[in-house]
Amino acid sequence: MNIMKRYLFFLAVIPTLWSCEPEPDNLRLLDQLVVSTNYDPDAAFGTYKYYTIPKDTIGYVSNTSRDTIWTFTTAQPYPRSVINAVRHQMDSLGFEYVDRDQDPDVGMNIYIIENLNLFQQVYYPNYYSNYYGYGGYYYYPVVQTYAQNTATLVVEMIDLKNRNANNQVKIVWNAYMGDVVNSVNYEQQSIDAIRTAVRQSPYLH
Amino acid sequence: MKKLLTVLFILLPACALLAQENYFYLNLDVNTPLANTDWVSKTSGRGGKAGYRFMIGESRFSAGVDFAWAYFEEYAPTETFQNGNGAITTDYFKKLNQYSFAASGQYNWELGGQGLFFPYAGIGLGALHNQYIMAYNIYEDSDKGWGFLARPEAGILARFGKRRSMGAMAAVHFDYATNKSDDYNYSSYSAVGFQIGIFLMNR
Repeated sequence: MNIMKRYLFFLAVIPTLWSCEPEPDNLRLLDQLVVSTNYDPDAAFGTYKYYTIPKDTIGYVSNTSRDTIWTFTTAQPYPRSVINAVRHQMDSLGFEYVDRDQDPDVGMNIYIIENLNLFQQVYYPNYYSNYYGYGGYYYYPVVQTYAQNTATLVVEMIDLKNRNANNQVKIVWNAYMGDVVNSVNYEQQSIDAIRTAVRQSPYLH
Repeated sequence: MKKLLTVLFILLPACALLAQENYFYLNLDVNTPLANTDWVSKTSGRGGKAGYRFMIGESRFSAGVDFAWAYFEEYAPTETFQNGNGAITTDYFKKLNQYSFAASGQYNWELGGQGLFFPYAGIGLGALHNQYIMAYNIYEDSDKGWGFLARPEAGILARFGKRRSMGAMAAVHFDYATNKSDDYNYSSYSAVGFQIGIFLMNR
Protein backbone atom coordinates (compact mmCIF):
# COMPACT_ATOMS: atom_id res chain seq x y z
CA MET A 1 0.00 0.00 0.00
CA ASN A 2 2.85 2.36 0.84
CA ILE A 3 4.40 1.74 -2.57
CA MET A 4 1.03 2.40 -4.17
CA LYS A 5 0.73 5.72 -2.30
CA ARG A 6 4.19 6.83 -3.36
CA TYR A 7 3.47 5.84 -6.92
CA LEU A 8 0.22 7.77 -7.05
CA PHE A 9 1.72 10.84 -5.42
CA PHE A 10 4.59 10.71 -7.89
CA LEU A 11 2.05 10.61 -10.72
CA ALA A 12 0.30 13.62 -9.22
CA VAL A 13 3.52 15.59 -8.82
CA ILE A 14 4.45 15.31 -12.51
CA PRO A 15 1.50 17.35 -13.85
CA THR A 16 1.84 19.90 -11.08
CA LEU A 17 5.52 20.43 -11.88
CA TRP A 18 4.59 20.72 -15.53
CA SER A 19 2.25 23.52 -14.56
CA CYS A 20 5.10 25.80 -13.46
CA GLU A 21 6.00 28.78 -15.64
CA PRO A 22 7.73 27.76 -18.88
CA GLU A 23 9.83 29.95 -21.16
CA PRO A 24 7.96 31.44 -24.08
CA ASP A 25 8.69 30.13 -27.55
CA ASN A 26 11.95 32.05 -28.02
CA LEU A 27 12.43 31.42 -31.71
CA ARG A 28 9.02 32.86 -32.35
CA LEU A 29 10.06 36.09 -30.62
CA LEU A 30 13.52 36.25 -32.19
CA ASP A 31 12.49 36.11 -35.83
CA GLN A 32 11.99 39.87 -35.97
CA LEU A 33 13.65 42.79 -34.24
CA VAL A 34 11.82 45.10 -31.87
CA VAL A 35 11.62 48.48 -33.59
CA SER A 36 11.37 51.62 -31.47
CA THR A 37 11.30 55.07 -33.07
CA ASN A 38 11.25 58.57 -31.63
CA TYR A 39 11.05 62.00 -33.23
CA ASP A 40 11.50 65.63 -32.32
CA PRO A 41 8.01 67.20 -32.41
CA ASP A 42 9.57 70.58 -33.24
CA ALA A 43 11.26 69.28 -36.37
CA ALA A 44 9.78 70.39 -39.72
CA PHE A 45 10.29 67.15 -41.63
CA GLY A 46 8.57 68.58 -44.69
CA THR A 47 11.40 71.09 -45.18
CA TYR A 48 14.09 68.40 -45.56
CA LYS A 49 14.89 67.33 -49.08
CA TYR A 50 18.53 66.24 -49.38
CA TYR A 51 20.24 63.63 -47.27
CA THR A 52 23.70 62.18 -47.01
CA ILE A 53 24.90 58.87 -45.61
CA PRO A 54 28.28 57.07 -45.39
CA LYS A 55 28.82 54.54 -48.17
CA ASP A 56 30.47 51.55 -46.51
CA THR A 57 30.96 52.28 -42.84
CA ILE A 58 28.72 52.28 -39.82
CA GLY A 59 29.57 53.20 -36.24
CA TYR A 60 30.34 50.59 -33.63
CA VAL A 61 30.11 51.11 -29.88
CA SER A 62 31.11 48.18 -27.71
CA ASN A 63 32.21 47.50 -24.19
CA THR A 64 34.48 44.71 -25.42
CA SER A 65 36.25 46.31 -28.39
CA ARG A 66 38.13 49.51 -29.09
CA ASP A 67 36.84 49.62 -32.67
CA THR A 68 34.56 52.57 -33.32
CA ILE A 69 33.63 51.77 -36.89
CA TRP A 70 32.53 48.69 -38.81
CA THR A 71 33.53 48.76 -42.46
CA PHE A 72 32.14 46.68 -45.29
CA THR A 73 34.15 43.70 -46.46
CA THR A 74 33.05 40.82 -48.62
CA ALA A 75 33.19 38.63 -45.53
CA GLN A 76 31.20 41.19 -43.51
CA PRO A 77 28.62 42.72 -45.86
CA TYR A 78 26.38 43.84 -42.99
CA PRO A 79 27.38 47.56 -42.98
CA ARG A 80 26.62 47.99 -46.66
CA SER A 81 23.38 46.02 -46.38
CA VAL A 82 21.95 48.27 -43.68
CA ILE A 83 23.23 51.45 -45.40
CA ASN A 84 21.55 50.37 -48.63
CA ALA A 85 18.36 49.59 -46.72
CA VAL A 86 18.32 53.09 -45.21
CA ARG A 87 19.07 54.65 -48.60
CA HIS A 88 16.26 52.67 -50.19
CA GLN A 89 13.80 53.87 -47.57
CA MET A 90 14.95 57.49 -47.81
CA ASP A 91 14.65 57.42 -51.60
CA SER A 92 11.17 55.93 -51.37
CA LEU A 93 10.18 58.75 -49.01
CA GLY A 94 11.17 61.29 -51.68
CA PHE A 95 14.51 62.37 -50.25
CA GLU A 96 17.46 62.82 -52.60
CA TYR A 97 20.95 61.62 -51.86
CA VAL A 98 23.81 64.12 -52.05
CA ASP A 99 27.45 63.94 -50.99
CA ARG A 100 28.28 65.42 -47.64
CA ASP A 101 29.97 68.44 -49.23
CA GLN A 102 26.82 69.27 -51.23
CA ASP A 103 25.00 70.89 -48.33
CA PRO A 104 22.56 68.12 -47.30
CA ASP A 105 19.56 68.96 -45.11
CA VAL A 106 19.89 65.82 -43.00
CA GLY A 107 22.59 63.27 -42.32
CA MET A 108 21.78 59.63 -41.67
CA ASN A 109 23.89 58.09 -38.96
CA ILE A 110 23.97 54.32 -38.42
CA TYR A 111 25.71 52.46 -35.64
CA ILE A 112 25.64 49.30 -33.58
CA ILE A 113 25.73 49.31 -29.80
CA GLU A 114 27.06 46.02 -28.54
CA ASN A 115 26.94 45.22 -24.87
CA LEU A 116 28.44 42.17 -23.27
CA ASN A 117 27.21 41.52 -19.75
CA LEU A 118 28.96 39.04 -17.55
CA PHE A 119 27.32 37.54 -14.49
CA GLN A 120 29.32 35.63 -11.95
CA GLN A 121 27.97 33.33 -9.33
CA VAL A 122 29.95 31.75 -6.52
CA TYR A 123 29.15 28.23 -5.34
CA TYR A 124 30.49 26.62 -2.20
CA PRO A 125 30.44 22.86 -2.80
CA ASN A 126 30.47 20.60 0.22
CA TYR A 127 30.87 23.48 2.59
CA TYR A 128 31.01 22.49 6.23
CA SER A 129 30.45 24.80 9.11
CA ASN A 130 33.57 23.53 10.84
CA TYR A 131 36.42 25.59 9.48
CA TYR A 132 39.59 23.64 8.61
CA GLY A 133 42.07 23.52 11.45
CA TYR A 134 39.14 22.80 13.72
CA GLY A 135 38.52 19.27 12.51
CA GLY A 136 36.30 20.15 9.57
CA TYR A 137 36.81 20.57 5.84
CA TYR A 138 36.74 23.55 3.58
CA TYR A 139 36.47 23.37 -0.18
CA TYR A 140 37.33 26.39 -2.25
CA PRO A 141 34.34 27.97 -4.01
CA VAL A 142 33.60 27.48 -7.67
CA VAL A 143 32.94 30.58 -9.75
CA GLN A 144 30.61 30.18 -12.70
CA THR A 145 30.45 32.88 -15.32
CA TYR A 146 27.45 33.54 -17.52
CA ALA A 147 27.62 35.83 -20.53
CA GLN A 148 24.86 37.69 -22.30
CA ASN A 149 25.70 39.54 -25.46
CA THR A 150 23.21 41.97 -26.93
CA ALA A 151 23.37 44.48 -29.75
CA THR A 152 21.11 47.27 -30.93
CA LEU A 153 21.09 48.75 -34.41
CA VAL A 154 20.57 52.51 -34.29
CA VAL A 155 19.62 54.78 -37.18
CA GLU A 156 19.53 58.54 -36.60
CA MET A 157 18.43 61.47 -38.72
CA ILE A 158 20.47 64.57 -37.92
CA ASP A 159 19.27 68.03 -38.86
CA LEU A 160 22.23 69.65 -40.62
CA LYS A 161 20.14 72.51 -41.95
CA ASN A 162 19.23 74.21 -38.68
CA ARG A 163 22.41 74.39 -36.67
CA ASN A 164 22.41 76.50 -33.55
CA ALA A 165 24.66 79.47 -32.81
CA ASN A 166 27.43 77.13 -31.65
CA ASN A 167 27.22 75.15 -34.91
CA GLN A 168 25.67 72.20 -33.06
CA VAL A 169 23.28 69.81 -34.76
CA LYS A 170 20.19 68.05 -33.44
CA ILE A 171 18.89 64.50 -33.83
CA VAL A 172 15.34 64.83 -35.12
CA TRP A 173 14.52 61.13 -35.55
CA ASN A 174 15.98 57.86 -34.38
CA ALA A 175 15.22 54.18 -34.57
CA TYR A 176 16.44 51.53 -32.13
CA MET A 177 16.23 47.96 -33.38
CA GLY A 178 17.18 44.91 -31.34
CA ASP A 179 18.28 42.46 -30.46
CA VAL A 180 20.69 41.89 -33.35
CA VAL A 181 22.90 39.28 -31.67
CA ASN A 182 20.15 36.84 -30.74
CA SER A 183 18.18 37.18 -33.96
CA VAL A 184 17.64 34.26 -36.29
CA ASN A 185 18.95 36.08 -39.40
CA TYR A 186 20.43 39.36 -38.24
CA GLU A 187 21.14 40.85 -41.65
CA GLN A 188 17.71 40.27 -43.19
CA GLN A 189 15.95 41.13 -39.93
CA SER A 190 17.89 44.41 -39.76
CA ILE A 191 16.79 45.30 -43.28
CA ASP A 192 13.17 44.42 -42.41
CA ALA A 193 13.42 46.45 -39.19
CA ILE A 194 14.63 49.55 -41.05
CA ARG A 195 11.59 49.28 -43.33
CA THR A 196 9.32 48.91 -40.28
CA ALA A 197 10.96 51.94 -38.62
CA VAL A 198 10.09 54.14 -41.58
CA ARG A 199 6.59 52.71 -41.92
CA GLN A 200 5.77 53.49 -38.29
CA SER A 201 7.00 57.08 -38.77
CA PRO A 202 4.49 58.59 -41.21
CA TYR A 203 5.60 62.16 -40.37
CA LEU A 204 8.80 61.49 -42.38
CA HIS A 205 6.82 61.40 -45.63
CA MET B 1 -0.65 39.90 4.57
CA LYS B 2 2.36 38.29 6.27
CA LYS B 3 0.64 38.53 9.66
CA LEU B 4 -2.48 36.86 8.29
CA LEU B 5 -0.48 34.02 6.80
CA THR B 6 1.54 33.59 9.98
CA VAL B 7 -1.64 33.38 12.07
CA LEU B 8 -3.14 30.88 9.64
CA PHE B 9 -0.14 28.61 9.63
CA ILE B 10 0.16 28.67 13.42
CA LEU B 11 -3.54 28.24 14.20
CA LEU B 12 -4.47 25.63 11.64
CA PRO B 13 -2.03 22.89 12.70
CA ALA B 14 -3.10 23.53 16.30
CA CYS B 15 -6.75 23.04 15.33
CA ALA B 16 -5.77 19.94 13.39
CA LEU B 17 -4.49 18.33 16.54
CA LEU B 18 -8.05 18.40 17.82
CA ALA B 19 -9.52 17.23 14.55
CA GLN B 20 -10.70 13.71 13.97
CA GLU B 21 -10.17 13.55 10.24
CA ASN B 22 -7.93 15.54 8.01
CA TYR B 23 -6.50 15.24 4.53
CA PHE B 24 -3.85 16.64 2.22
CA TYR B 25 -4.53 17.02 -1.44
CA LEU B 26 -2.60 17.78 -4.60
CA ASN B 27 -4.52 18.69 -7.74
CA LEU B 28 -3.97 19.74 -11.29
CA ASP B 29 -5.93 22.95 -11.83
CA VAL B 30 -7.30 24.02 -15.21
CA ASN B 31 -8.46 27.64 -15.37
CA THR B 32 -10.29 29.84 -17.83
CA PRO B 33 -10.06 33.62 -17.30
CA LEU B 34 -13.38 35.44 -17.35
CA ALA B 35 -12.22 39.03 -16.84
CA ASN B 36 -9.64 41.13 -18.70
CA THR B 37 -9.67 38.59 -21.47
CA ASP B 38 -7.87 40.97 -23.80
CA TRP B 39 -4.76 40.14 -21.75
CA VAL B 40 -5.21 36.37 -21.53
CA SER B 41 -8.37 34.52 -22.47
CA LYS B 42 -7.43 30.93 -23.26
CA THR B 43 -7.92 28.04 -20.88
CA SER B 44 -4.68 27.03 -19.22
CA GLY B 45 -3.86 23.62 -17.81
CA ARG B 46 -0.69 24.97 -16.27
CA GLY B 47 -1.96 25.27 -12.76
CA GLY B 48 -2.04 23.37 -9.54
CA LYS B 49 -3.55 23.41 -6.13
CA ALA B 50 -2.44 21.84 -2.88
CA GLY B 51 -3.93 22.08 0.56
CA TYR B 52 -4.73 20.71 3.93
CA ARG B 53 -8.20 20.40 5.46
CA PHE B 54 -9.53 19.02 8.72
CA MET B 55 -12.98 18.19 10.04
CA ILE B 56 -14.18 20.35 12.89
CA GLY B 57 -15.20 18.05 15.74
CA GLU B 58 -18.13 15.79 14.91
CA SER B 59 -19.72 18.34 12.64
CA ARG B 60 -19.97 18.29 8.86
CA PHE B 61 -17.80 21.36 8.60
CA SER B 62 -14.16 21.38 7.67
CA ALA B 63 -11.53 24.09 7.44
CA GLY B 64 -8.10 24.36 5.95
CA VAL B 65 -5.59 26.19 3.83
CA ASP B 66 -5.14 26.14 0.07
CA PHE B 67 -2.13 27.09 -2.00
CA ALA B 68 -2.73 27.45 -5.72
CA TRP B 69 -0.76 28.55 -8.72
CA ALA B 70 -1.58 29.11 -12.37
CA TYR B 71 0.21 30.26 -15.47
CA PHE B 72 -1.37 31.75 -18.58
CA GLU B 73 0.38 32.68 -21.78
CA GLU B 74 -0.82 34.07 -25.08
CA TYR B 75 1.02 35.08 -28.21
CA ALA B 76 0.19 38.43 -29.73
CA PRO B 77 1.14 38.98 -33.37
CA THR B 78 3.15 41.99 -34.47
CA GLU B 79 1.58 45.25 -33.42
CA THR B 80 2.61 48.91 -33.41
CA PHE B 81 2.13 50.89 -30.20
CA GLN B 82 2.21 54.69 -30.26
CA ASN B 83 3.92 56.23 -27.24
CA GLY B 84 4.31 59.99 -27.00
CA ASN B 85 6.72 61.10 -29.69
CA GLY B 86 7.33 57.67 -31.08
CA ALA B 87 6.19 54.14 -31.67
CA ILE B 88 7.29 50.59 -31.05
CA THR B 89 6.59 47.57 -33.23
CA THR B 90 6.96 44.01 -32.02
CA ASP B 91 5.27 40.70 -31.53
CA TYR B 92 5.10 39.52 -27.95
CA PHE B 93 3.87 37.09 -25.37
CA LYS B 94 1.40 38.19 -22.71
CA LYS B 95 1.91 36.16 -19.59
CA LEU B 96 0.10 35.96 -16.29
CA ASN B 97 1.87 34.13 -13.52
CA GLN B 98 -0.08 33.80 -10.29
CA TYR B 99 -0.15 32.11 -6.94
CA SER B 100 -2.56 32.38 -4.04
CA PHE B 101 -3.08 31.48 -0.42
CA ALA B 102 -6.53 31.01 1.06
CA ALA B 103 -8.12 29.91 4.30
CA SER B 104 -11.11 27.83 3.42
CA GLY B 105 -14.20 26.33 5.01
CA GLN B 106 -16.41 23.55 3.64
CA TYR B 107 -19.69 21.83 4.35
CA ASN B 108 -19.35 18.08 3.70
CA TRP B 109 -21.83 15.27 3.42
CA GLU B 110 -21.76 11.63 2.50
CA LEU B 111 -23.21 10.23 -0.69
CA GLY B 112 -24.45 6.65 -0.95
CA GLY B 113 -23.89 5.73 2.68
CA GLN B 114 -20.88 3.49 1.93
CA GLY B 115 -18.24 5.87 3.22
CA LEU B 116 -16.75 6.33 -0.23
CA PHE B 117 -18.08 9.55 -1.70
CA PHE B 118 -18.06 12.91 0.09
CA PRO B 119 -19.32 15.92 -1.83
CA TYR B 120 -18.56 19.32 -0.38
CA ALA B 121 -19.22 23.00 -1.00
CA GLY B 122 -17.28 25.84 0.52
CA ILE B 123 -15.45 29.07 0.12
CA GLY B 124 -11.86 30.18 0.42
CA LEU B 125 -10.76 33.68 1.33
CA GLY B 126 -7.21 34.89 1.02
CA ALA B 127 -4.75 36.69 -1.20
CA LEU B 128 -3.74 36.30 -4.80
CA HIS B 129 -0.47 37.48 -6.33
CA ASN B 130 -0.46 38.30 -10.03
CA GLN B 131 2.62 38.95 -12.13
CA TYR B 132 1.87 40.41 -15.56
CA ILE B 133 4.70 39.91 -18.02
CA MET B 134 5.11 41.20 -21.53
CA ALA B 135 7.94 39.31 -23.26
CA TYR B 136 9.20 40.62 -26.58
CA ASN B 137 12.36 39.54 -28.38
CA ILE B 138 14.89 39.12 -25.54
CA TYR B 139 13.27 41.82 -23.41
CA GLU B 140 10.64 41.69 -20.69
CA ASP B 141 8.45 44.23 -18.95
CA SER B 142 6.44 43.25 -15.93
CA ASP B 143 4.22 44.45 -13.15
CA LYS B 144 2.96 42.59 -10.10
CA GLY B 145 0.76 42.97 -7.09
CA TRP B 146 -1.44 41.37 -4.47
CA GLY B 147 -5.21 41.36 -4.29
CA PHE B 148 -7.97 40.00 -2.08
CA LEU B 149 -9.23 36.60 -3.23
CA ALA B 150 -12.65 34.98 -2.82
CA ARG B 151 -13.03 31.45 -4.14
CA PRO B 152 -16.32 29.52 -3.87
CA GLU B 153 -15.73 25.86 -4.57
CA ALA B 154 -17.73 22.65 -4.90
CA GLY B 155 -16.25 19.22 -5.27
CA ILE B 156 -16.19 15.61 -4.30
CA LEU B 157 -13.79 13.30 -2.51
CA ALA B 158 -13.90 9.68 -3.66
CA ARG B 159 -11.96 7.22 -1.55
CA PHE B 160 -10.44 4.26 -3.39
CA GLY B 161 -11.95 1.90 -0.83
CA LYS B 162 -13.72 1.98 2.46
CA ARG B 163 -10.52 1.12 4.30
CA ARG B 164 -8.27 3.13 2.02
CA SER B 165 -6.98 6.49 3.14
CA MET B 166 -6.23 7.62 -0.39
CA GLY B 167 -8.70 8.80 -2.94
CA ALA B 168 -9.43 10.98 -5.93
CA MET B 169 -10.62 14.54 -5.69
CA ALA B 170 -12.38 16.72 -8.23
CA ALA B 171 -13.78 20.22 -7.85
CA VAL B 172 -14.92 23.30 -9.70
CA HIS B 173 -14.20 26.76 -8.39
CA PHE B 174 -14.77 30.36 -9.26
CA ASP B 175 -12.03 32.83 -8.41
CA TYR B 176 -12.56 36.51 -7.94
CA ALA B 177 -9.66 38.75 -6.94
CA THR B 178 -9.18 42.50 -6.71
CA ASN B 179 -5.77 42.51 -8.40
CA LYS B 180 -5.14 45.31 -10.84
CA SER B 181 -2.33 46.75 -12.88
CA ASP B 182 -2.43 50.27 -14.26
CA ASP B 183 0.53 49.49 -16.53
CA TYR B 184 -1.39 46.78 -18.35
CA ASN B 185 -4.89 48.19 -17.91
CA TYR B 186 -5.86 45.18 -15.83
CA SER B 187 -8.72 45.88 -13.43
CA SER B 188 -9.64 42.64 -11.65
CA TYR B 189 -9.17 38.92 -11.96
CA SER B 190 -11.85 36.30 -12.24
CA ALA B 191 -11.70 32.78 -13.56
CA VAL B 192 -13.50 29.51 -13.45
CA GLY B 193 -11.41 26.43 -12.76
CA PHE B 194 -11.63 22.69 -12.69
CA GLN B 195 -9.26 20.69 -10.52
CA ILE B 196 -8.56 17.00 -10.30
CA GLY B 197 -6.06 15.09 -8.26
CA ILE B 198 -5.57 12.91 -5.24
CA PHE B 199 -5.89 13.21 -1.48
CA LEU B 200 -4.44 11.40 1.51
CA MET B 201 -6.70 11.16 4.54
CA ASN B 202 -5.71 10.64 8.15
CA ARG B 203 -8.42 9.18 10.36
